Amino acid sequence: MMIDPTIRDPDISYVRKIGNGMAVYKFWDSLSSFLFTIPFLVCFVLFLVAPLIFGVIISLHAWNPLVGGGPFVGLHNYTQLFRLSTLTGHDFWLGFANTAIFVCISVPLLMVIPLFLAYLIFRSPLKSLFRPILFFPTVLSATAITTVWDFLLQTQNGPVNNVIHAHIPWLVRQPWAWISIDLATIWWSMGFNMVIIYAALTQIPESTMEAARIDGAGSFRVFASIVIPQVRNVLSFIIVISTIASFNLFAQPMLMTSGGPNDSTMSLSYFIYEHGFNDFQMGPATAMAFLMGIILAIVSSIQYRLSRRED
Amino acid sequence: MLTGRRSTNMIKIFVLIAACVITLFPVAWMISTAFTPNGEAFSSIIPAHATIGNFITLFGLRDQFPIIRWLCNSLLVATCTAVLVTLIDSLAAFALARLRFWGRKVIFNMVIVSLVVPFIALLIPLYVEFAKYNLIDSYWALILPYTSNAFGVFLLYQFFIGIPNELQEAAVMDGANKLIIWKNIFLPLSTPATATLALLTFMNVYNDFFWPLVATTSTPMRTLTVGVQVVSVSQYSTNYPLLMTATLISVIPMVIAFLFTQRQLMQGVVMTGIK
Repeated sequence: MMIDPTIRDPDISYVRKIGNGMAVYKFWDSLSSFLFTIPFLVCFVLFLVAPLIFGVIISLHAWNPLVGGGPFVGLHNYTQLFRLSTLTGHDFWLGFANTAIFVCISVPLLMVIPLFLAYLIFRSPLKSLFRPILFFPTVLSATAITTVWDFLLQTQNGPVNNVIHAHIPWLVRQPWAWISIDLATIWWSMGFNMVIIYAALTQIPESTMEAARIDGAGSFRVFASIVIPQVRNVLSFIIVISTIASFNLFAQPMLMTSGGPNDSTMSLSYFIYEHGFNDFQMGPATAMAFLMGIILAIVSSIQYRLSRRED
Repeated sequence: MLTGRRSTNMIKIFVLIAACVITLFPVAWMISTAFTPNGEAFSSIIPAHATIGNFITLFGLRDQFPIIRWLCNSLLVATCTAVLVTLIDSLAAFALARLRFWGRKVIFNMVIVSLVVPFIALLIPLYVEFAKYNLIDSYWALILPYTSNAFGVFLLYQFFIGIPNELQEAAVMDGANKLIIWKNIFLPLSTPATATLALLTFMNVYNDFFWPLVATTSTPMRTLTVGVQVVSVSQYSTNYPLLMTATLISVIPMVIAFLFTQRQLMQGVVMTGIK
């Protein structure tokens, strides 16, 4: 390790010369240590704490971005959200229900398929070939994958319909619109979860599995009784991160279905974007975003608690 | 017994090959369509009349579709952010993990709590904040919001905690100050974690869609993800060969990054799962 011996700590030598005891030294020591966090703290305050406080202020006003302000309306934007007859209330809960449908389909599949694939790769030769290939779509952008799937899933002459010799209205009719969005999303992000589960599988002691096999347990038995319990913590982590990621669904409906048919794939984030940046209703939109953030934090902390308690 | 094991191995490999084919099928279509003349899109995965005409057309549309400019924007923004985040987070994580100072616990708890704040809650206030200082549609707006990256601090914190104390003590004995200790001991030793953080940050920023969508308004300031979508969807929505050409160009940097750093990338993904 290269340490330059010629450079002395200026603080220490200065304090020692004055000889004013530990208190001064400790103060300078503490301060100089604190300085290391300053660049981060400045960014943290400017681009996370300030927006949160600013968001509270915006949500209490009928904020118009073109004017850069608006009249104070108190909690009106929030109380609106709990009345289904209002525009934002209606859109919030419709978006919430739509997003919930997506989460309920994608999260179980984003756990089961990667688990299955990770186990297959773990138990087969050519690991270093299969793992990167299946991981690959994760590095692509949401916009790239939606552009490609939008092309693949065209009803007229779309390559997918051609391969399966069908005429399925993928992007324009329900339930196909949800199936399309789920298909693209799972194709895109299963590699991410697979890599995490695979790493957990490699941590299982080989002797444990060997012992089970000598006792006559078949492949399925080993999987169900040895593998699953050993990776359960990782699986609950996967559920939490997949739920959060799925809940933030935005690019796929915006770019694949435009929220259609009949707003049935309008996700919560998409509604918030529409209200804020197309209708310029930033006050109500911020209230929607905050309520969504609170719900998301509650759901993920419940999931986290539940998965921890089972240990 | 041996034949039984061999046949199950065959089944496993068969299933995995099928999974790989499904994974690569859309990518293959994207590439082939990029080399297909406009009239012949959809016809076959192997273009009958392969052409680079789409690339020529695309580069010719310099005003409506400045894809090289967008590519440069994306690369610039992602690189700057990755460097900034790594530097800022490394300094902060070093102090939190290895130094004693007043307020250390408070800052650490703030970092942890902020991990649950979803981006959607910050979207509109961040926009209003940048609009207030006339910074919308600038590189500042595209880079700065990513620098409050608490996840990076947490990741490096966990790495720094694991470095043996003896190294730090020996350096203090030799009279090295904290900055020297960080620069000469912790930064070199944490290269795997730091490189991973830089790589993941680069990937996330390069691929981000939501923030650049609202943070930019003029065509030349768009990043690739937004530019290809906003312009293409409004003007070239049925010209699939042109869209696939633009998409292909947009994924090339990430494909190169993936080919050279797949190990670190997958390692990085695993590190996000460590608690």
